[in-house]
Amino acid sequence: MAVIKEKAECCTLLVDELYGQLPARVYATLFQRGKLSVRLISQFSKLSARQVKNGLCVLQQHNLLFYSVDANSGEAEYSVNHEYAYNLVRTGKILEMVDNSYGPAGRDVMQNLLLLGQTRISDLVAAYQAKINEVNNDDAWLNDKKPELAIKSKAQLNSVLCRLIEAELIDVIHSKTFQSAHEIEKQVHREVMDVYFSNGIKGTKAKIEFEQRVAEGLRKVREESKTLKRKLAQNGGASKRRKLAVGNETNGAPEEEEDLDPALDPRQVIRINYEKCIVELRSRRLVQYVNETLGETTGYVYGQLLKQLTKNISRCKSDPLIDALTPEEKVTPSVTTNEILDKVKTSIDLTLGIGKIPSKSISKSAAERLTPLAPKDKIPFMNQDDSDDDEEDGDYSDSDEEMDTKKENGDAPVARMSRPEQLRQHLLLLAEGHPGFVRHCGEDEWTVDFKPLMENLRATELDSIIEQTSGRQGLRLIRILRTKGKLGEQALQSLSLMRKVDLQQKMLEMRLVGFAHTQEVPRDNKADPKKSIFLWYCDTEQAYSSLIAKCYATMVHCLQVLEVRRQKDKDVLSLAKRTNVKGKEKDMMRDESYARFAKFLKDERLLMAEMMRIDDTLALLQDY
Amino acid sequence: MADRDKIQILKDALYEAARDHGSDQRLFTQRDLLDMQVIPQDNIGLLMQVIQILCDEKLFVGNTTASGLSWRWRSREDAKKYTSLPNSEIMMVYAMVDEAGADGIWNRTIKNKLNMADSLMKHCIKYLEQKGYIASMKNVEHPNKKMYIKANLRPSDRATGGPWFTEGELDTAFINELQEIVFDFIKQKSTYTSHGGGAGVPGVGAQGGGAQQREKNPKKGVVQGTIPHSEDISKGTKRSAGEISNDDTAAPAPAKKTRPGKPQLLPLPAGYKSYPTVSDIAKFIHHAGITNNTTLSEADIQQLVDVLYYDGLVEPVKVNGRKGYRVTRIPKQDPRTCNQRRLDHDPTKGGIVTSFMGVEPSASGLMEAPCGRCPVYDMCEEGGPVSPSNCVYFRRWLDGDEVQEQVISI
Ligand code: SF4
Repeated sequence: MAVIKEKAECCTLLVDELYGQLPARVYATLFQRGKLSVRLISQFSKLSARQVKNGLCVLQQHNLLFYSVDANSGEAEYSVNHEYAYNLVRTGKILEMVDNSYGPAGRDVMQNLLLLGQTRISDLVAAYQAKINEVNNDDAWLNDKKPELAIKSKAQLNSVLCRLIEAELIDVIHSKTFQSAHEIEKQVHREVMDVYFSNGIKGTKAKIEFEQRVAEGLRKVREESKTLKRKLAQNGGASKRRKLAVGNETNGAPEEEEDLDPALDPRQVIRINYEKCIVELRSRRLVQYVNETLGETTGYVYGQLLKQLTKNISRCKSDPLIDALTPEEKVTPSVTTNEILDKVKTSIDLTLGIGKIPSKSISKSAAERLTPLAPKDKIPFMNQDDSDDDEEDGDYSDSDEEMDTKKENGDAPVARMSRPEQLRQHLLLLAEGHPGFVRHCGEDEWTVDFKPLMENLRATELDSIIEQTSGRQGLRLIRILRTKGKLGEQALQSLSLMRKVDLQQKMLEMRLVGFAHTQEVPRDNKADPKKSIFLWYCDTEQAYSSLIAKCYATMVHCLQVLEVRRQKDKDVLSLAKRTNVKGKEKDMMRDESYARFAKFLKDERLLMAEMMRIDDTLALLQDY
Repeated sequence: MADRDKIQILKDALYEAARDHGSDQRLFTQRDLLDMQVIPQDNIGLLMQVIQILCDEKLFVGNTTASGLSWRWRSREDAKKYTSLPNSEIMMVYAMVDEAGADGIWNRTIKNKLNMADSLMKHCIKYLEQKGYIASMKNVEHPNKKMYIKANLRPSDRATGGPWFTEGELDTAFINELQEIVFDFIKQKSTYTSHGGGAGVPGVGAQGGGAQQREKNPKKGVVQGTIPHSEDISKGTKRSAGEISNDDTAAPAPAKKTRPGKPQLLPLPAGYKSYPTVSDIAKFIHHAGITNNTTLSEADIQQLVDVLYYDGLVEPVKVNGRKGYRVTRIPKQDPRTCNQRRLDHDPTKGGIVTSFMGVEPSASGLMEAPCGRCPVYDMCEEGGPVSPSNCVYFRRWLDGDEVQEQVISI
């Protein structure tokens, strides 16, 4: 569980930014030293035990720690949950996403959960109740305008929570939530050993069985956080409601339906499930890509498809231990055209976004071709354009001509299509061609092979970064190397149609930034460097990891710059914090101070936005 | 005496027979020559005598191959050149240049092979050049070597580098121009132009009915007042967090783009059969007569298209095993041709445009931040000589536009 330095630094600064210096210092110590008890933390960080405990408390509340009890000393030991810590930078995006799919009420609940950390349902309800009471107490609002509340009743809160739990965006804390994956694995191992293999594991068969049992055990642990969701499903609430409220999701459920939701067990402690949130963010990102490559109507359709498809996908990357035995097809379900059609807003004109041409210039059979199987893992980047479907091609073209000529007679050049057919046009377009946004896996059934798709998009992202750094010619050279493997300068030159001097200069430039590398191949065993052949190559994996590091480092720099600015404007900021100034900064502050204050806010916004943008790249490279 | 006459006759007969049986590249073995039925009674001795005379007169060239001796003929004209040479050294040098054919030969190779003194070789070459028998040439693979070629030969493609080279130099202007033409062609053939109002379909027969209809009733209900974010990107401005949210799935974004009057490129439906193939492109280039003095083969065009592919400008689409090409990121493409864009481009307004083909790379967060392009990124560290707290790039990035703003507000 090694964490790269840049990430550790980034997480610490994020904690600092959000929860203050004390927790950050504890966190930094944990990053540096690994698993520690309170006593040791205080020793290393030069903080008093009391301070350390305070810090730990905050961190624990926000799920940023793992802990376990050391069997020998009986002391609790803490370590960092860096994935969660890093996710703090995504909060803005997550709130946006929830706002868009579940309306302001959902956003409000999510925001409170983000602020509070893990919360008992009863506490959350009480907090909201207090607020509702306050607003409903008319006397208090005689002069001021009554603020509009996102959540207006307990029933609404309950209903919103139900939706979020069903979507897995919120899950439940259980006994193992605070154990690191490694700990849990150890524990399950031990249990399986005790129960089934008390005599030790003998032979390969037993070994396989052992692995299966461990996977099962781990899956059980993982499922534990979904208890509430399961209970809701048993209640049948979701399907009942779906019948009533098609297309109404964004507004929250209408009043009468809130009563249909079962009351949630108030003792349960809930938290935000980042894993699922990231799945949603990935969908958003994919839609963005489609918007760019194919157009926005198609992007919208894709968004609806993904929404259906990811309903039961809990995480972007399957766990190597638990999911090794379940093939990808099972993990990713498929959806039908009609399921998507049911969700497409009636205001969307599906005829937009695709060119209109007579049907005789379209090969139906090629467009409708089914690909029932997921692509096998290919060697990445090698000759991707020559996909393996060459053999079948002959058969197809024959039947094709027939079909086309038949069509020609009956159809008007541009036939008016029915709405489902219009929708299919978009889906077929998505299924065609390179990045493989969609796979047409059965008659009117669609699925997405996320793994190869994300791999392709990662490469696209890298390409655009290379293009921005080294220009189009740089991109050209790198992509040649990626498809062809290692190449000498001569070969590179004839493939790239670049002048020798330009080529050499570009390659050197890219070697300095780490996109390209050279390998020396001696001509004979004397290894005279003058006679050696030099081959160029690019190491895509390495390019990814150095970019990831750079992303973290850049975020760190953003946070540091922000801190510097905050120090500089300390006086103005503290002024703005005063209760009599707050909210009326413009009137209360002197012009010059206010200008500084406004400028600081602007910078802060810019830097934060920038960090989120960087996270877009980073998430694509490592998390999606 | 009679013998000599006879041999003279036989010699001419054999030479003519050999010429009838193949080009000057064909190698004839002893058996082949005997089978021509010129030499009476398969008399090998006689044949060898005749061949000897032909070789002496430079009309035959001997070759030793693995299967034994063989010969090929040489034209009388060329033979005369040989016999007119004053001495054997010059003849040997000429022979080597002759052998090298259209690829040419390096003067050092001649010297080493013939084991000749430098001055002597130079003398030979000078003589041959003056006579107009050989000429110096440039070889792109070895631009610094002094190469010679027979004067009446055209250097081979390997030596000249093919159609992309002009006088031994890669003709980048020519390549670029051609690339733009090919790119425009692919763009035009692989997309659908939706005009605000009537629609034409270049290349696939105008079918504007559908487009016209839908433009008439744009979905007003869902049009929002926000700027589509694509414009932000093209302007290179930074987006705030609020704007990021605009490209969300649930937002009724699709209808926003329907601004009337602006032509826009759309992708063609799946299964479109006529994405241009390399041979389509080659035909187009040929008919357009753009390359008057060079003929471009399909392989040459393929090379060009491959470069466009590597540049990320076009991508192959396979429909029924037919590999056509289409441009990438169609909705972002400028419907104008490269040339039009160049003409419309106002150099006083904004940055350097390196290429008028295709689209700018999509902005990525990392590259927008100062660190993404920072020259001292590797040394930057808190406490070091360069650090975020004293970073000038960040200062410019954050404060730069404020300075401008102030100027405007005054
Ligand atoms: S000097 Fe500035 S721009 Fe460069 S890496 Fe450091 S913080 Fe980033």
